[in-house]
Order: sequence, then structure tokens, then C-alpha cells
Amino acid sequence: MTAPMVKIDALSKRFQSGGGLFAKPRTMMAVREVTLSIGKGEVLGVVGESGCGKSTLARLVLRLIEPTSGRVTIDGTDITALSAGALRRIRRRMAMVFQDPYSSLDPRYSLADVLAEPLRLQGEVIAPARVDEMLASVGLPAALAASHPHQLSGGQRQRVGIARALALKPDFVVLDEPTASLDVSIQAQIIALLADLRDRLGLTYLFISHDLGLVRYFCDRIVVMYLGSVVEVLPDTRTAPRHPYTRALMDSNFAPDPARRRVIEMLTGEVPSPFALPPGCAFATRCPRASDRCRRDTPALGGDAAHPVACFHPL
Amino acid sequence: MTALLKLDDISVSIGNLGLLDRISLSVGRGQVVGLVGESGSGKSLTAMAAIGLLPLIGGRVTKGTVRFDGQDMAAMTETQRRKLRGARIGFVTQNPMTALDPVQRIGEQVDVVSRLHLGLSRADARARTLDLLTRLRIPEAGAVVDAWPHQLSGGMKQRIVIAMALAGDPDLIIADEPTTALDVTVQAQIIQILGSLVRERGVALLLITHDMGVVAQVCDRVAVLYAGRLAEEGPVGPIFAAPAHPYTAALIGCIPQDGMAKGSLTGIPGAVPSAAAFPAGCRFHPRCPRASDLCRNTPPMIVHRTAGQVACHHPGEAE
Ligand SMILES: Nc1ncnc2c1ncn2[C@@H]1O[C@H](COP(=O)(O)OP(=O)(O)OP(=O)(O)O)[C@@H](O)[C@H]1O
Ligand SMILES: Nc1ncnc2c1ncn2[C@@H]1O[C@H](COP(=O)(O)OP(=O)(O)OP(=O)(O)O)[C@@H](O)[C@H]1O
Ligand code: SF4
Ligand code: SF4
Ligand SMILES: [Mg+2]
Ligand SMILES: [Mg+2]
Repeated sequence: MTAPMVKIDALSKRFQSGGGLFAKPRTMMAVREVTLSIGKGEVLGVVGESGCGKSTLARLVLRLIEPTSGRVTIDGTDITALSAGALRRIRRRMAMVFQDPYSSLDPRYSLADVLAEPLRLQGEVIAPARVDEMLASVGLPAALAASHPHQLSGGQRQRVGIARALALKPDFVVLDEPTASLDVSIQAQIIALLADLRDRLGLTYLFISHDLGLVRYFCDRIVVMYLGSVVEVLPDTRTAPRHPYTRALMDSNFAPDPARRRVIEMLTGEVPSPFALPPGCAFATRCPRASDRCRRDTPALGGDAAHPVACFHPL
Repeated sequence: MTALLKLDDISVSIGNLGLLDRISLSVGRGQVVGLVGESGSGKSLTAMAAIGLLPLIGGRVTKGTVRFDGQDMAAMTETQRRKLRGARIGFVTQNPMTALDPVQRIGEQVDVVSRLHLGLSRADARARTLDLLTRLRIPEAGAVVDAWPHQLSGGMKQRIVIAMALAGDPDLIIADEPTTALDVTVQAQIIQILGSLVRERGVALLLITHDMGVVAQVCDRVAVLYAGRLAEEGPVGPIFAAPAHPYTAALIGCIPQDGMAKGSLTGIPGAVPSAAAFPAGCRFHPRCPRASDLCRNTPPMIVHRTAGQVACHHPGEAE
């Protein structure tokens, strides 16, 4: 790995919900003691199922929300300790692309306005030529500058979302399921665009997805999360998984080849409530290898530093 | 095999907008037929046409026939059609919440289907419900029947909806993207369970999905729709091994697979046209790598081959 650009150190986020006249507020750990680093120019993938904390991690890394504990360092600067002004200055170097291209763009503004907004917020004026250039960089014709988001297809909207994220020429971009609402045909276009932009602009990505197949195609290393915790970090896309949950995710991916049909091993059991996690390993309720020890003690992420796994009985 | 459901050359319009054009496909008992295509290609409309629900959205079949078990659906009265849907067709939609009554216990909601359509007693209906839930791998089915919908996870609720669709012993199930809202591990399991239950019981299943991986895994045949027309239809083996239609090939090529070289996933350029702006000639021509002048001017005819159909002027080699 190249020198780390982003260092995430024991980052946690606790959420409280409910609470009222009669109900006690309940708390849950959306992100629990996550430690990771991202090398310059690297594409680090994060996968896991709905509610495992991927978006919360994304927001924490850009400090769009405050962590309960832990730190995030970008190129040596601890952004969790910065003042608002200093944070705004360093934010120029970081950007985020959201999942839903339908709701993340304001329908009242033209694309020219949408794209100029990040610059305006930083107190800059931009020439119309710059807007054309931004559109061109994501493969959209300049003629679209005057149109409004509702006039675009989902794929075009997501291209605009990417162009806007790149407006301030960041070097670190967090992509939170940027293709989840798109057809596979358009997803592949967007992934090709992201790969091209990374090569041309030397970007570093934190790429979030629930699709392990996609992450294995696009990313350099892969972080697997389950109920707020990192359970495995795959050092590359070829290494076989060692955590039973990662295995289950891989098995759930059907290859488009009827000659390779197979019976998948069923995960029985339900995902526990994040508000009432059982003791021990959070995956034990569904894990085919779970032992008494798994239901009693919590496995820590460890073992091989290049390929850590949090499991007492890894594959 | 005689088809249970047979769409023969049907076209569908809403108002004066032609949305489906000359679609033929059939589903036999114990058979799983996949209906695929990008968003807006006409999958849901085809399903609605198949079960006579188009009037609900102001649509109508303008050409061709839909037969269920040999009977022409258009020749039935609305009452007969409604009865047919209730007794012999199960429908599973993408959103389980719209199919479940929030103020009725799970068990009762499933029981009522077999009591109504099979005339089972309360006790027999409950036994059937418990059996179905167990087959759908619902843990602690005995406790789940007493739960309320809001107490169950999304994956559980979707399995309940599938149980409801199966409870009346239907001959045909139409599942419109039944698992898209679910987590991947749950999705894979439900698809697998649905496929095996259908085969075991000799039910016909029309499975709408946008996932070619799912089609390859569970379907016997696949119909590929593009912009309201059939691109290709036939048994999955030959179609995945050597797709004749460039659109089928492109859809398969959009799925990231292990061992794929980086940069090889390029997608399909452009986007699905809207019904108001279908291109002339072959509707896929603006996105097709093989498009010729012929394609730009003349719509390809559907050609019936040994095992299926293809609509393309320059199809790939048939095997
Ligand atoms: N602002 C909030 N207040 C309370 N709970 C929250 C908040 N944001 C997220 N959560 C909870 O934290 C957990 C993690 O949510 P998060 O959105 O990070 O998951 P995710 O992995 O991104 O899921 P998805 O794949 O569905 O987007 C969930 O249980 C969620 O309900
Ligand atoms: N009620 C309606 N009025 C007018 N046009 C409609 C109506 N319903 C569907 N359409 C149009 O018909 C075409 C096919 O729609 P359909 O819902 O069948 O697509 P689909 O393949 O099911 O897509 P998705 O994958 O997004 O569900 C689309 O162009 C859609 O805009
Ligand atoms: S620690 Fe135990 S329960 Fe957890 S994943 Fe490993 S084997 Fe399964
Ligand atoms: S008819 Fe022509 S444009 Fe249409 S799919 Fe075939 S080769 Fe492509
Ligand atoms: Mg999220
Ligand atoms: Mg649909």
C-alpha cells in the first residue's frame, strides 16, 4: 500500500432513538471502533448489508457528523479536532457522492447553478466555460447546462452529482452507493467514468456498496462490515474470504451463467436488533460455524495484519 | 408442454401511447420464466397485461390474445377474471408492506387465503400456513404466526407475502421484482426457495427481475424486453452461452464477475428511450454496436428459431 492519505482510528458513533414520556431512549452503536487507512490513489471498498453503518462511516470520515469517539486524520491533519473555519478549508479537498441521484439535486436549479454552487459557497465566481468543462469531464454535453435535474435520466443525474463533487478539485472522494438506484447498464457506465476520473485526476476513493461483486471488480482492498463493526479486510480482490459472513455475501452473488448453478448454503436465523445485540459475535445468530465461545466472547479484528478477520473459527 | 399462460403477439397502449409491441411468451407448469430488461422496458406492463390488470392504470390490449389455461382472457367478464386471479394466480410485488395488513396478525393473513380459496377449516388452514412458513425457512414459524407485520424484518415480511401467494395453491405466480428491496444474502435465499417450491408443486412462475444473475440461477427460459419490444426469448442455457441479440449480450456483460479485467465493464451507452420518443427502425439502434442503415430504418421482425425467438437484423451465431 502507498502512504496512507486517510487514517481512521477507533472511530465510533452512537445513536439514540425514541425516548418519551414512558419509553426509555434506546441507544445503538452504528459504527464501532473502526480503524482503517486509505492509501493515496487507492480505492477502498466498504461492503455490508443495509443498516451495517456504511453511510454513517462515510459521514464520519468527512466529519459531516460528529463522532462519539475516535479520530480521522487526512494527510496528517486530525479533522476531528479542527475548528469550523479550518474544517471548511480542508473540506475543499474532500467530497461526497450520494446514493440517490433523484433527491440529491435541487429540482429548482439549472445544472449550471447546481455545478457552480460548491464554488459559490467557497466564495468563488465561475465562468460559464468552467461549467461546460465540468459537464464534459463526466461525459455530458454542454447543451445540458441550462436544463433542470428532472429533465435528466438517472445516469445523467448521477454524472451531475459526480461533477459537482469534483467542482473544487478534491483529492479524496467518498462515494456512498453511487450506483445503487441505477440499472446495471448505467451502473457500468458510471463505474467506468469513476475509474477514468481516478486515473486522470489522481483521486483517492472510499467506495461504499452492498454489492460485493461490484466492489471486487472496482476496488483495491475491501472492508466488510456487519452491524457496525469491521469483520474482515480483504487485501485484494483475489484473496479468498476467511470470515463466514464474507463467504455468505460472496455466495449470494449469482454468476450470470446457468452452467454454474449451485445450491447456496442457507443462513438461518435473523439479524439481531442493533439496539439489543446479543453478547459475543454479532453474526453468531446466523453463522453456520458458531460455537458456545462465539455466543459468549466478542472476536476482535486481528490475525494477519494485511488480511485481518474478526472470527474465532475463520475459514 | 402446454402453456398455462400464453401471451400471443400482444400490443398494449395507454391512451394513444403504444407501450408494448407484439410480445409473445408463455409459461408452463413447473416452469420458471424470467422477464428482464432495463427500467422502463415494459416488464411490469407485460405482467399486468398477463393477468388482466391493465384497466387499473387505464391501459388496454390493442392486439393479440392472452390465454390462461387455454381460455381467452379478453372473452371473460371482469367478474370471471377477478375470480381467476383470486383462485389461480398469486401475485408478489416488490413492496411487501402494501400486501400486508398492518393491523392483522401474520398467521391470520396467510390462513385466510387457503380458507377462502381452498375452503379449508381454521385448523387445517393454520397447519398449512405453518408448513409453508417452515418451507420458506422462517425460523420459529410457530411464534411468527402470532406476530404483527411491524415486528418482522423486511426479509421476513417478503417471505410472508410469498407464503400468501402460495397458500391458495395457485397455478401461476407472477413475481414482480420480489427481492429488490432485500439484503443480498436474503435475496439469494428467497430466490432459491421460490424456484424450488415452484418446481416441486408444478406451479408456473413468471419472475420479473433486472438481475441476469438471478435469471441464470433459477429460470428455465428468459424473455428480454427492450423499449416495449421483445429482443430475444428462449431457454437460458443457449441464450447465456451465445446470446443472439446484442442487447442480451450487453446486459449479461454489465454484471461484474470474478476474474474480469479492470476496465472491461463498460455498460451500455445511452439510455432507454421513453415511449413518446422511440427511435425509428430497431429501437436499440442508437445504443447498438452492430447497428447498420437497415437497423436505423426498418424494425427487425421476430424470427422464430428452434427453441425461441429473436428480433435483430444481425443476430449473433445461433448454436
Ligand atoms: N441520524 C440517525 N439517528 C438514529 N439512528 C441512525 C441515524 N443514522 C443512522 N442510524 C442508524 O444507524 C444504523 C446504520 O445506518 P447507516 O445508514 O449507516 O447504514 P447503511 O449501512 O448505510 O445502510 P444502507 O445500506 O441501508 O444505506 C442503522 O441502524 C440506522 O437506523
Ligand atoms: N400508467 C402509465 N401511464 C403512462 N405510461 C406508463 C404507465 N405505466 C408505465 N408507463 C410507461 O411504460 C413503459 C414501461 O413501463 P413498465 O413499468 O412496464 O417498465 P418496467 O420494465 O417494469 O420498469 P421498472 O424496471 O422500472 O419497473 C415506461 O416507459 C413507462 O414510462
Ligand atoms: S466468531 Fe463464531 S459466530 Fe462469529 S463469525 Fe466466527 S465462527 Fe461465526
Ligand atoms: S437490429 Fe440492428 S440495431 Fe437492432 S439489435 Fe440488431 S444489430 Fe442492433
Ligand atoms: Mg447507506
Ligand atoms: Mg416494473
